[in-house]
Amino acid sequence: ILKALASNPINVEMLRQLSISRGGLVSNELRQKAWPLLLNIDIDNIPPKPNEEELHSHKDYGQVVLDVNRSVKRFPPGMLEEVRLSYQDQLIDCIMWILVNNMDLHYYQGFHDVVVTFLLVVGERLTFCIMNKLVQNHFRDFMDKTMDKTNFMLNYLLPIIGKVNPKLRKFLEKSEVGMIFCLSWLITWYGHVLKDLKDIVRLYDFFIACHPLMPIYLAADIVLYRQIEVMCCVCEMPYVHRFLSQLPDDLPFEQLIISSGDLFLQYPPSVIKHEAEMIREKLVLF
Amino acid sequence: MSFQGPEEYDYLFKIVLIGDSGVGKSNLLSRFTRNEFNLESKSTIGVEFATRSIVVEGKKLKAQIWDTAGQERFRAITSAYYRGAVGAMLVYDIAKHATFENIDRWLKELRDHADDNIVVLLVGNKTDLRHLRAVMSEDAAEYADRNNLIFIETSALDSTNVEHAFQQCLNEVYKRVADRHFSNVNIGQTTALPTTNLQSTILEKKFCCNS
Repeated sequence: ILKALASNPINVEMLRQLSISRGGLVSNELRQKAWPLLLNIDIDNIPPKPNEEELHSHKDYGQVVLDVNRSVKRFPPGMLEEVRLSYQDQLIDCIMWILVNNMDLHYYQGFHDVVVTFLLVVGERLTFCIMNKLVQNHFRDFMDKTMDKTNFMLNYLLPIIGKVNPKLRKFLEKSEVGMIFCLSWLITWYGHVLKDLKDIVRLYDFFIACHPLMPIYLAADIVLYRQIEVMCCVCEMPYVHRFLSQLPDDLPFEQLIISSGDLFLQYPPSVIKHEAEMIREKLVLF
Repeated sequence: MSFQGPEEYDYLFKIVLIGDSGVGKSNLLSRFTRNEFNLESKSTIGVEFATRSIVVEGKKLKAQIWDTAGQERFRAITSAYYRGAVGAMLVYDIAKHATFENIDRWLKELRDHADDNIVVLLVGNKTDLRHLRAVMSEDAAEYADRNNLIFIETSALDSTNVEHAFQQCLNEVYKRVADRHFSNVNIGQTTALPTTNLQSTILEKKFCCNS
C-alpha cells in the first residue's frame, strides 16, 4: 500500500486492487491517504463550510439532529462522553454541509450512519470531501426524492441468489420475506448493523473501490453463506425476516468479500438487471 | 442463534406502530415485549418486529408488533407492512406539537393501506416530560373522539400505561374478532392454512409439534 501511495504518479489502480484484496487498506492512517485518492479528490481545494445559519435552516436539519442524537452506539465504547458529544456536533455539521452543498439531494435515515463512519476515521474536512463525491456516485440513488431507485436496487438480491441456489430463491419467495431485511445494509453500507467499526471500515474499503451495487452482492452472499440455516426457518415472512435481519457477530468478512466479488464477476449487473426489472413489474401489478 | 419456531397460541394479531420519527415507537415496543427502555436506541431503518403473548378471556393472543421507520420517505416501503394488521398504534410525542399535527397524515396512510376495521389507538408518548408538554390531553382526546380512535397517554421511559395501551389494543381486536367484525378475513381453524397465511388478517391456529 505504501508503495502504491509513494509511486509518482500515484498508482490508483493498484490501490483499488489493494482495497479489495485481503485485509483491505489495513489501518486508518492509510485510509486517510488512500480513500481520497481512490475517489480522485483534490484535498487542497475544499470549499469553505457554510455558516451556521445556512446549515441549520436546511429542511432536513431537524431529522438529522434526531438521528445523530440516537447514534451513540456508533462511537467506540470507551470514548469519553465529552469527546463523543463533540463528535456528534461535528457529525451534524458535516451532514448539513454535504446537504447544503448538494441541494438537489434528500437526506435519508441511515445517511448519518455512513457519515459517522468516515468522521471517525478521517475527520470532518476529509469526510465532507469524500461524501461530497460519494453522494454523486455510490449514494446518489438513495438520495432521490422517493425511494423508488433504492427499491429497485434491492430487486437484484433474489436473482443473484437464484443464480447460485434456485431452491433458496424459491424458499425466500414463498416466505414472502421481501427485501427490506437488507435495506439498512445497502443504504448504510452495513454501518447501521455491524457492531465493530473495524469490520465496517474494511467493508468501506471494498465498496469505495467497487460498483455501487456491490453491497447488494455482499447481501446476497451473506444470505447464501447462511443458506442451510435460512432454509431451516419456518417458511413464513416474520421468521425469515427476523433470522435474516440479525447478522451473526462472526461473519467471515474477508472470505465474503472475495466470494461476493466473484458473484459480481460471474453475474454482473448487466446480466441480473432484466430479472430485477421483472420483479419490479410484478410488484407494480400487485 | 436459535430459530424461533412456531409456538402455541389461539390467535395471532399483527399490530403496527406508526408515527413521526423520534416519538418513541421502538421504546414502546421494547418496553412492552422485553420490559426494556434504551436511552441510546438507534433510529429504525425499514421495519422490525417483536412478539409477546397475553391471555384474554382464556385465549392466548400472540401479538406480533411491527415497528417502522418514521421518516416520511420510508412510508412507501413501510406501508406494505400494514397489510394484514388488525391493530395500529399511532404515536406522537406530547412534548412536540408537530408530531401531533402529523397524526392526520398517518391516519390517512392507514385508511389507504390497512383493513377498514383495524383498531386504531392514538398514543401520546413521553408523559414523563410533563414540564415540556405541548399537546394538551383534552385536545388529543377530542381528536380521538372525532376520528373514532382509542386515546391513551404513555411513557415508555417510566412504563406508565404501556402495558395498558397494548392490552387495550389487543382486547379491542379480540372483541372485534369475536363479533366477526373482520368480515373479509381468513380465520383459519387448523394448521392446514396456506403458508402465506401471515398475509391474512387473523390467524386462529394451534401448532402441533409437526409444523
